[in-house]
Amino acid sequence: MKIMRAIASLGAAAVLLTGCGGGGAGTTVEKAPSGQPIQGTNLTYDPNKLVNDGKPIELEWWMWDGDKQFQAFADSYQELHPNVTIKTVNQPWEAYWTKLPLQLQSGKGPALFNIHNSYDATLSPYLESYDVDLAALEKDYNGAAAHVVDEKVKYIDYGIMTGLIWYNKAMWAEAGLTEKDYPKNWEDFRGIAQKLTKRDGDTIKQAGFNFNAAYNSLGFLQYQNGYNLMAEDAVTPALDNPGTLQNMQYFLDLYNVDKVGSKDFGPKAIESFGKGQSAMIYEWGHLHGTLDKNYPSIDYGTFQTPVPDANETPYAFDRYNGESTPGINAGADEAQKAIAQDFMNFFLTDKEDMKNLVLNYSLAPSYKVLADDPDIAANPVVQALGSLDRYIWPGPMPATFETSITKAWEDVVYNGVDPKSAIAGAQKTIASDLAKSGFTSAEPGYAHYAPSPR
Amino acid sequence: MTLTTRPKADKRPPEKNNVIPRKPRSRKRGNAGERTLRNTVIIVIGASLLLLTAYPIGLAFVGSFHYWNPLSGAFDFIGLENYTDLLSSGEFWSSLLRTGVFSVVVIFFRVALGLAIAVAIFSNLTRGKAIFRTIFYMPTVTPLVAVAYIWQMMYNPQTGAINTFFGLDINWLYDPNFALPSIIGMTIWKDFGYAVILFLAGLHSIPEDALEAASVDGANAWQRFWSITLPLLAPMTVFVVITSIISYLQAFVQVLVLTQGGPGTSTQLISYLIYEQAFVKYDFGYASAAAFVLLIFTALLTLISFRLSAGRKNSLEG
Repeated sequence: MKIMRAIASLGAAAVLLTGCGGGGAGTTVEKAPSGQPIQGTNLTYDPNKLVNDGKPIELEWWMWDGDKQFQAFADSYQELHPNVTIKTVNQPWEAYWTKLPLQLQSGKGPALFNIHNSYDATLSPYLESYDVDLAALEKDYNGAAAHVVDEKVKYIDYGIMTGLIWYNKAMWAEAGLTEKDYPKNWEDFRGIAQKLTKRDGDTIKQAGFNFNAAYNSLGFLQYQNGYNLMAEDAVTPALDNPGTLQNMQYFLDLYNVDKVGSKDFGPKAIESFGKGQSAMIYEWGHLHGTLDKNYPSIDYGTFQTPVPDANETPYAFDRYNGESTPGINAGADEAQKAIAQDFMNFFLTDKEDMKNLVLNYSLAPSYKVLADDPDIAANPVVQALGSLDRYIWPGPMPATFETSITKAWEDVVYNGVDPKSAIAGAQKTIASDLAKSGFTSAEPGYAHYAPSPR
Repeated sequence: MTLTTRPKADKRPPEKNNVIPRKPRSRKRGNAGERTLRNTVIIVIGASLLLLTAYPIGLAFVGSFHYWNPLSGAFDFIGLENYTDLLSSGEFWSSLLRTGVFSVVVIFFRVALGLAIAVAIFSNLTRGKAIFRTIFYMPTVTPLVAVAYIWQMMYNPQTGAINTFFGLDINWLYDPNFALPSIIGMTIWKDFGYAVILFLAGLHSIPEDALEAASVDGANAWQRFWSITLPLLAPMTVFVVITSIISYLQAFVQVLVLTQGGPGTSTQLISYLIYEQAFVKYDFGYASAAAFVLLIFTALLTLISFRLSAGRKNSLEG
């Protein structure tokens, strides 16, 4: 009898658990909110409605970073719709890209997930198109039109990010430097880096410039020399060019000739900068959030990346990339998808949380209502970027670009491989990987596009 | 020749007024219950093995002959192309060689250190054996990821404990001469406690008579160790070596956390290569081919270990 009762209890528990699927910890809401302001300009969100008929529902939202800023969107939405629980799940980058695609492929996975456009080809088949007014979206967001395919959009950019030089203000002042000393060209940069370097005999005590482990961003500055990443057909990699070699040699000389840093001093540039060991590093805008979170005591400033010749406008200062809005899982159940669609409408019109997100990553905002926001304009990183007109977007580059270029730089810096062979090796790997990906570069779409010099 | 006769059944009726003796539990019924339990267990285990082991292995084997990207749904037959690409790839062979070096060194030190410390703890001269056992086993039960992160901090050339403590100036994880040895060092520290516990169990099972007899015959401690203890620990040593081979040929987490295979590919072990192909480039076909080659190497090495151990056992018995 006891056994029967135990089995019955287990069965009942199983039934209850099954019944809970897709439900959530939120409370049932009987009455739609009223009197809440409609948010947005052209694309609008009206919160004065019941979602999921007021019944509790839970959905997951996966991300690899920025959990605090993204959580703010979820909190704001849940405040309007207390029957909805959005559970944010933060995972390390490597684990994220191992788990997420396979979960999506098996028809599972979170209803919402953050996107990096280097995984565009991987994720695209599993993305549900946004249920939004496209004309209104394009009016409100810069660059949204570029993401519209067959009158559908699966994600857009909420901001634009690129690289720049970050410096430690205390070290800068100690070396007698002021804002007027921001170097405009690489030759001046060399001199500034030397001023900021401290040595005790052969031992570096403070690196003037540290680029260790920053190869995946530093390795693309060949644009300054007028060289594209891809050939004119936009599908053949053309990384093996004099511009890439020249770029790599400049940075190697900073270590080997000018001795402003070392491959053995502060093996990770960001960490070394955060710990106050290195005076300058080159990194992308996301460092702003990382520094505030992990190294809050560092007082830093930024300036635009120097160019070969300050009197000549470079072909491009650098490449940029868009930071993508979350995707909706096409395989999620209908109720969750409906909430995810409603949430994305909210997300795209939530000015305050969007502003904080943009500031966290030091982005040039895509949301036009933030274009003149004084806080964003005052952000030193955004200020340093200047006009984005001379920044080039190579398209949603597959991960092989960054991994292969990083390996090439590591081979040169640490393993003694000569730069030309390393770059040729990287190009070979990229070409082999691209043959399976079908990637086409967006470089020809650059307003100042010109084929690489022959 | 022996004849067996079936005992005759007692057909006499039970005597009246006598207490009927309790019927002995039916052997057949007992067997039937046992059989049901056995069959259930075997079916469950068999089904689990088929579903969770044989099926994925079979699928991976079939997939190794295809261009297979589960995300795009591509599963195109390409024959032996993945294998020919793999076997003609310098990166694959250097990763395999590196994996071999890593495994041999770690296994050697795991066995040598494990045995030495087990013998030291087992000695009658050692007090507080339980404390030592616990201390040495502790790294084994600590999660590898946590250990790897701590060692990453310790290996920092400027702020790490190792350079600071020993007054060195080595970029442990980025100097190609030190990166792999650094991973090896961490792995030995993490895992030798497992061997200590197994060797201690082996030492406890050695008959004391044999050691006492040797002492009576005038053998000193060193002679007793070489001639009695070590040969009698051979089965345990083989067990430690084989489980270590299987485990270290698949070493992955420490590489992922400490170096991501770098600098360049100087610490890329075969499992990391498989991971990169499968989960960074989503080329499951190529990754499956690499996994099968690894499987063959693992099986061969295990077989060789068994053969060597059997040969040694035969020569001892002969």
